[in-house]
Amino acid sequence: MTLKTTRGLETLVAKACESAYPEEGCGLLLGAVPDGFDRMGRELSVDEVRALPNGWDASTKTNRYLIDPRLLAKVESELSGTGRGVIGFYHSHPNHPAWPSPFDLMMAWPCLSYWIVRVDGGKTADSRSWQRTEDGRSFVEEPIVLEG
Amino acid sequence: MSVEIRLPTALRAFADKQEKISVDAKNVGEALDKLFAKHDRLKAQLLSPDGKLRSFVNVYVNEDDARDKQGLATPVKDGDTVLIVPAIAGGVTLAAEAELSREELRRYDRHVILPEVGLAGQKRLKSASVLCIGAGGLGSPLALYLAAAGIGRIGIVDFDVVDESNLQRQIMHDTPSVGTSKLESAKKRLLALNPHVKVELHETRLSSANALELFKRYDVVADGTDNFPTRYLVNDACVLTGKPNAYGSIFRFEGQLSVFGAKDGPCYRCLYPEPPPPGLVPSCAEGGVLGVLPGVIGTMQAIETIKLILGIGKPLVGRLMLYDALEQSWRTLKVKKNPACPVCGTNPTIKAPIDYEAFCGLKEKPVTANPEISVEELKSKLDKKETFVLLDVREPHEYEAAKIDGSKLIPLGELPNRLGELDKKAKYVVHCRSGGRSGKAVTLLREKGFDAVNVAGGILAWADRIDTSLEVS
Repeated sequence: MTLKTTRGLETLVAKACESAYPEEGCGLLLGAVPDGFDRMGRELSVDEVRALPNGWDASTKTNRYLIDPRLLAKVESELSGTGRGVIGFYHSHPNHPAWPSPFDLMMAWPCLSYWIVRVDGGKTADSRSWQRTEDGRSFVEEPIVLEG
Repeated sequence: MSVEIRLPTALRAFADKQEKISVDAKNVGEALDKLFAKHDRLKAQLLSPDGKLRSFVNVYVNEDDARDKQGLATPVKDGDTVLIVPAIAGGVTLAAEAELSREELRRYDRHVILPEVGLAGQKRLKSASVLCIGAGGLGSPLALYLAAAGIGRIGIVDFDVVDESNLQRQIMHDTPSVGTSKLESAKKRLLALNPHVKVELHETRLSSANALELFKRYDVVADGTDNFPTRYLVNDACVLTGKPNAYGSIFRFEGQLSVFGAKDGPCYRCLYPEPPPPGLVPSCAEGGVLGVLPGVIGTMQAIETIKLILGIGKPLVGRLMLYDALEQSWRTLKVKKNPACPVCGTNPTIKAPIDYEAFCGLKEKPVTANPEISVEELKSKLDKKETFVLLDVREPHEYEAAKIDGSKLIPLGELPNRLGELDKKAKYVVHCRSGGRSGKAVTLLREKGFDAVNVAGGILAWADRIDTSLEVS
């Protein structure tokens, strides 16, 4: 189980999370939808990232992110039939570990990769990716492999 | 009824990689049941063990969120698309969903038993935050009802002290609080009403420097200000921070109400691109106000605020309600979003708060004294039958009591809207009782390109020195 991407895209994710600081930044990970997407240990290749506005109420943006379902539906329909899709999300944890929180788990979808970036004082400090188990009880970490 | 269900990428693996699945159904619930019958692994992902849609699942019928319609009972017709969209959310800490204590449940019982509010809605009110601009006439019923309704965090901006003359309408304050800070008085009253809410005091003058930071910390802003610079500042800061503004204003016996700055809705500037000339619209302190009036309008602001938070009903977006207490009537006007609006239009030019005192013409301008003539000069012009319009800008009752023959009446307050009646080529000699209001009228007329002069001393001087038979009170 691996999340593959490029150095360039990793930098984009880090920059987006840093510029959202002290609020949580968030965005979409796009790429080909593999066979066995639901298998634990599947390999994903992210070929595009898109930053999205954090839709949460102002007072909670520092510890929450929310993606507007309409924006998401738009991207899904844009990629419909292309074999590519929204294969994961990234978001940042300002001044907190890059481990999924209980809230992340409660809200998580299966199959997808959840890439979490720890931002301390405006600088990226850690970066980890996670896949939720199908029973929804836990997250399993997957290595982020940078190519190119 | 054949409808197409579209699955997000994350769920296709549970439906043999299909993106679109057609089923026959009469409503959303039935469509989902049929989907689950075909693909049972989807059910566990979308429904909680008790068979309800999980909170992070959004279902749209064509463009509309089924939650805004009838939920699972939302009917579908042939050719409709049912879209399942993940609500993607997360963050550092566990959802601090507001919990209601037993006392709170008892207190809010009449809310909770309303299906439109329910337990979930009451928790939402508790998690919500509202910033009230002003702790005066409008702010009083507004903050009182918001506190009573259990809004979790209520912020109030004001920097005034309670004055005896406030008590005729500002019912949040009381006689013992005269001379003390309005904010402290408000906090005491609100917490006595409901100790379960948090009251945040911002004892400051709202300004271009602090508005954005302040607004960012709240979900809804409710504008109860009494002056134009602050009203435009609140509007612009709401648009810039994306906060809806439950707006109300009052004057004498009339009130206005709307929701500005909502997503896709118009803002105050769409309705009034420019403020009236300074001094033209008197404040409550100058013009007076029926004490109950802010009670009506501020209460309606509280209703709009609560609707916005709960997401129920039809918010007053794109509509301006006008209340007339003397007629006891409400009128509703449509307000369209102005694509050329400098703050919320398609190419906004205002991207940060501006200098609102200057915008509203309240900063000192270079002195341009209005040309004046004396009553003697006026008399000689009339005697020589010179061609000009003698404009009287007093109120109709003053005009009826005593007037200069041949004068035309347009009260100062109506003048901006009646400029169309005036011929730009004509010359205007303007008077009022003593020269003050006509001075403002002359300034306005000259700004708009009319040739206008003021009569020094007004009809009082005329009655004193020219026509002593006139009795002017």
